[in-house]
Amino acid sequence: MKCAGDIEVRAVEEESINIDPIQAGGRLTAAAMKALIAYGDGYSVCDNCRKPNRLDYIKKPPIDRFHRELAEFVGMDVARVVPGARRGFQAVADTYVEKGDPVLVTALSHYTEILAIEARGGIPMEIPASPDNIITPDAAAAKIEEVIAKTGRTPPLLFLDHVDYSYGNLHPVREIAKTAHGYDIPVLLNGAYTVGIMPVDGKDLGVDFVVGSGHKSMAAPAPSGVLAVRNERAGEVFRTTAARTDVTSRTFGIKEVEMMGCTLMGATLVGMMASFPEVRERVLRWDSELANTALVVDALKRIGGTAILSQYPRRHTLTRVDTSQSFDRVAEKHKKKGFFFTSALKDRGITGIIPGATRVWKFNCYGLSRAQAEYVAESFIAIARENGLPVS
Amino acid sequence: MSKAAIVALFEAMFILSDIRVILRKTAPHHRLGPGEREEVESLIAGLEKQVGVLKRELLP
Repeated sequence: MKCAGDIEVRAVEEESINIDPIQAGGRLTAAAMKALIAYGDGYSVCDNCRKPNRLDYIKKPPIDRFHRELAEFVGMDVARVVPGARRGFQAVADTYVEKGDPVLVTALSHYTEILAIEARGGIPMEIPASPDNIITPDAAAAKIEEVIAKTGRTPPLLFLDHVDYSYGNLHPVREIAKTAHGYDIPVLLNGAYTVGIMPVDGKDLGVDFVVGSGHKSMAAPAPSGVLAVRNERAGEVFRTTAARTDVTSRTFGIKEVEMMGCTLMGATLVGMMASFPEVRERVLRWDSELANTALVVDALKRIGGTAILSQYPRRHTLTRVDTSQSFDRVAEKHKKKGFFFTSALKDRGITGIIPGATRVWKFNCYGLSRAQAEYVAESFIAIARENGLPVS
Repeated sequence: MSKAAIVALFEAMFILSDIRVILRKTAPHHRLGPGEREEVESLIAGLEKQVGVLKRELLP
């Protein structure tokens, strides 16, 4: 079925249980789907834009209120919507990083943090992860000392992933932020995998900036996200233009330089706003999400030779698993080779794992109903049994 | 301008979105429980009503 020209309808979510590691938290709510129908046109939120002509001042639809509620939601003072978390990283890096500055990231940082630093001519310096893939305050302190000793410069910024993309591990943010602040280094929390799916309070965590992803974890269309800061940083990151052109002497009101004026001007923003009431509620049900994940993880652990590479018990729904001694052994002899596993899942209406993956792979059970989580768990066990793997 | 037709159009599309979400929640087999069945019956009845409004307003 086509929706237009050669563009196929995407019915993955209607046809299957999708456990793709990056797609789970971005599935739209019904409210967001309805908002997209009504606000799909380009500058659709601009019908009632009046002076001072800035997105966060628009009252109809209530974008101004949404900005205030977003800041409160993540426990910060001032928030802006941005076209994806990466643009939040970029705005903060542009504000604080100068050419040649050493900037702290971690061995588990998302690549877009590195690109934001590179774009400014900064030098990314990684805090190593522990053997169990956790970033520790001690490792942060050691790296800060090492960087200062080597470069003679104090890093202007530390990027820290609340939950990393690779293992889905939850890192000790509060302790690391305290360590960094001991050296006067501000901390940016990358909450792409947390803001919108579990409770996040930036001030309680002691960070200076919180970045979230609308399309990854706030049931919003892409590209969307949030950058929230403390009051004392707002004048820096959200500085307004002071430019005056030479020929026409034009000035540009209170447009914010790092935001490039207005950011999300249509379906992305309204989709994010429409989902927000449900998102605000769903973070309170985080424990039931973890319980669903535990069900699936425990089923996988029952399959002989399977190892969970993420923190265990799980503290997040994104999970990395090693089946090189179980499903990959089957793949060696199976006529479909490595594709037997995802093929067997597909036959059961489960999708989202990289086709052909039988060694190390990731999945995310966020947003599944209990019945769907049980079905996924049973399916892993059934596939193992059908292929002669031991199940305890 | 038919305000009633416009309202019916959006209402109908919104109802379809609600049905879409039920398809997602019950994937992959779409076996509806008693509550879901009741909800879908109500949604489809609402949809038929909106289609009726569209017929009356646009094809008198």
